Amino acid sequence: MEFSLSKHEHKPLQVNPIKHSQPMGATLAFLGVKDCMPLMHSAQGCASYTKVFFTRHFNEPIAINNTSVSDITAVLDGGDYSILMAIENIQNKEKNLKPSMIGLHTTGLTETKGDDVRGVGTHIEIPYVFVNTPDYEGGMESGWALTVTAMIEQLTVEATEIKSDKLVFLPHLSMQPIEVEKIKGFCEDFGFETYALPDLSTSLDGYWEAGQGKLANGGITVEQIRDLATSSVVVSIGASMKKSALALQKKNPLITHFHFDHLMGLDGCDNFVSSLMEIRQDEPKPMIKRWRARLQDAMLDTHFLIGSSHFVITGEPDMLVGMCSLINSVGGTIRAAVSTTFSDSLHLIDAEKVFVGDLEDACAFFDDADMVISNFHAERILHTTYHTALVVRGFPNYEELGNQLKNDQLYEGSTYFLFEIANELRKVKHEH
Amino acid sequence: MVSRSKIKELMNESACSHSKEKKPGEGCDKPKPGLATGGCAFDGAQISLFPYADAVHLVHGPQTCLGASWETRETKTSYTGRDHTQMGFTTGINTNDVIFGGDKRLGESIDYIMEHYRPEAIFVYSTCVTALVGDDIDMTCKLGSEKHAIPIVPVHAAGFVGSKNLGSRLAGEAVLEHLIGTKEPEFMTPYDINLIGDYNVTGDMWQYLPIFEKIGIRVLSSMSGDGRVGDIRCAHRAKLNVIVCAKSLITLTRKMQENYGIPWISVSFYGKRDTTFAIREIVNALGDPELILRAEAVIAEEEAALEEKIAPYKALFEGKKAVLNTGGNKAWSIASGLQDLGIEVVATSIAKSTQDDIDKAREYLGENGVLMKKPAAEQGKIIDQTGAHILLAGGRSLYTAIKKKISFIDVNQEKKTSYGGYNGLLNLAEDLKYAFRNPVFANVGKKAPWETE
Repeated sequence: MEFSLSKHEHKPLQVNPIKHSQPMGATLAFLGVKDCMPLMHSAQGCASYTKVFFTRHFNEPIAINNTSVSDITAVLDGGDYSILMAIENIQNKEKNLKPSMIGLHTTGLTETKGDDVRGVGTHIEIPYVFVNTPDYEGGMESGWALTVTAMIEQLTVEATEIKSDKLVFLPHLSMQPIEVEKIKGFCEDFGFETYALPDLSTSLDGYWEAGQGKLANGGITVEQIRDLATSSVVVSIGASMKKSALALQKKNPLITHFHFDHLMGLDGCDNFVSSLMEIRQDEPKPMIKRWRARLQDAMLDTHFLIGSSHFVITGEPDMLVGMCSLINSVGGTIRAAVSTTFSDSLHLIDAEKVFVGDLEDACAFFDDADMVISNFHAERILHTTYHTALVVRGFPNYEELGNQLKNDQLYEGSTYFLFEIANELRKVKHEH
Repeated sequence: MVSRSKIKELMNESACSHSKEKKPGEGCDKPKPGLATGGCAFDGAQISLFPYADAVHLVHGPQTCLGASWETRETKTSYTGRDHTQMGFTTGINTNDVIFGGDKRLGESIDYIMEHYRPEAIFVYSTCVTALVGDDIDMTCKLGSEKHAIPIVPVHAAGFVGSKNLGSRLAGEAVLEHLIGTKEPEFMTPYDINLIGDYNVTGDMWQYLPIFEKIGIRVLSSMSGDGRVGDIRCAHRAKLNVIVCAKSLITLTRKMQENYGIPWISVSFYGKRDTTFAIREIVNALGDPELILRAEAVIAEEEAALEEKIAPYKALFEGKKAVLNTGGNKAWSIASGLQDLGIEVVATSIAKSTQDDIDKAREYLGENGVLMKKPAAEQGKIIDQTGAHILLAGGRSLYTAIKKKISFIDVNQEKKTSYGGYNGLLNLAEDLKYAFRNPVFANVGKKAPWETE
């Protein structure tokens, strides 16, 4: 089979898919809003699968409800019955539940029947954000991005002034909670009052606490989202988040927008630091400089192993762009970068093959690879058939523990990432 | 498509014990908006059929259905060919297919699978969207079946028709309609049985199948743990259907009784007493005096061997009390296992149990055992009152255990080892041993330096 970058599918089905659905990305985005009740407008199974999927990835209870659309309501109801009944039933069952917001997201089922989810909102007293996320379009990354845009469009209040030291950044789907925290801290080090939308760093970061809630545990508050248009700077990270940043700029044209395709490796992070320095007219803190020097050292330490190795990488587009760039920067050869869905940002990747596909397609390149970077599903295939090193990244990672604390971003995360892949490569390369 | 009357019939299974208490027209389950939390019908159908590793399971729908569900269950197989159970196949339909129909894509997908994988059969699962837009899956499967000369079975269990349980029933319907009775076995014995409802998760079946072999019971086919499509096609020649711990496939066994005259019994293989009871039920149902004698000899041998192996654990667990908070049949099956190991079960949850399960729980726990209706609220108090040493529950209850400074086992976590059969009890004993020994539950809850009472 000939693999090339195209919007068109090269076969009628997916075998061992890596792609995940838009509504699942929406659920995760809503989980980054404090006390939000993600409500999936779907049959019960869509939400049940999503719950198990994220519970196993994060090893945390996941708060999600659904409208339990049945074959009868699928035909007879326009959405208002099942959505309003769902909210009423949940609140009757859990008297003390005080959601800060209902995060309604649709699915293929409810989009096919064409419900008016905007109209339903007028009957709901709790703040309500809706997003159309059919799972026969786009993927998890676009579902996350659409949800962020929806929150900004529907919640954020227009403003005419900005606070010079207030910054909001919009992380792409594949960033794990600790990565969001590190970027927040990085901006704070430059003197910014910093917000992340969504903010998984305080909701799914895996922390021990009395009583696990039935709503999103932490994250940015609804009040803070309302106030975002007073930020002086919006930073979008990953091509998927560009539109969300533009939506915020519409609320206040005074906001300056900085976009970065990724924050991995020396180049990715240098670009980010240059911009922050320019705005603040200030030097970075000593620790940031120190981490840059450590990354330089790590690049030299690992270049021999990585520079003589061949990689196959699969994942969401924004994750692929950053990861490929970092590996390229120390001489690694990328045989194939296999993306879940199409995105223009895939053109940025320097690899022998870049295409949209599944693990069946990726397998065609495993024989020629020293290392595969992929999700949980690559593990069984690699262990039974190939002798290739594996580093697990992206969704889902069902079996490994501590996924929420894996940090690949900025100077610091890139340093750890290079050492991790070099050490895994060492294991397979010494066997030969 | 599934007709409304068929769904009604399946939801009002007359052989279900709790059906008698319901008014006419009231089904086993209708999802209520906001309150339905478990898996959907598609989920149930997948669970019931996925263990056929020699068949490809093709999900005709958008991305969520398969994307989030494949390779999530540790159903083991001894099939030496490619294990299709742990692979994912989906048509992953897009907007075009929703507008113009997905039949063409489905047909091409079947051709692709035949060209690249050549399975023994293909199960094609309809899903909410493809059911709603009205793809003619029956016709596409029929044409594919004729073209490729293998069974291609349409499974009509779109998620929105109901719960997981109903989906399992619908999977049973598909197997009954398209597979059972389509092939004759190479040979038959008077001791041929079908195993129904054991999916061989973590190899549960392999804990008791060697015992069957010793006695001379032959498993003709399985629905569907470690199953083969070729075998289930011969299932109509079995002498007995044995349902293992699953209420959902009663419809299938009742219909097989009506169509083929095969009687059925329901058993479980958790713990020593249940395993022994199950074996006796099976050989008694088969009715051969010699077989019964052989079974008794094997039971005596196995129990003696087991007693010897669990003796050290019993000594270790002496005087220990447990509170159990889990759903369905686990409420009594794990209780039974704990009791076999000499642990007193002071309370169990009946929050999600059927009447059958509640009766069984009462039988196992005795008069003084507490059957908890609201376990989350009750379990803390019961631990205080009884001085229980361990809580076996889902992850959400972990906090209770740590507050009470007692041991904990997450019984809802994906298991890595089997608790089934005689020897599964040893796996449970090992897990308990480590839980009792582990100081983490006392350590983790220690006060931080900045905390004061």
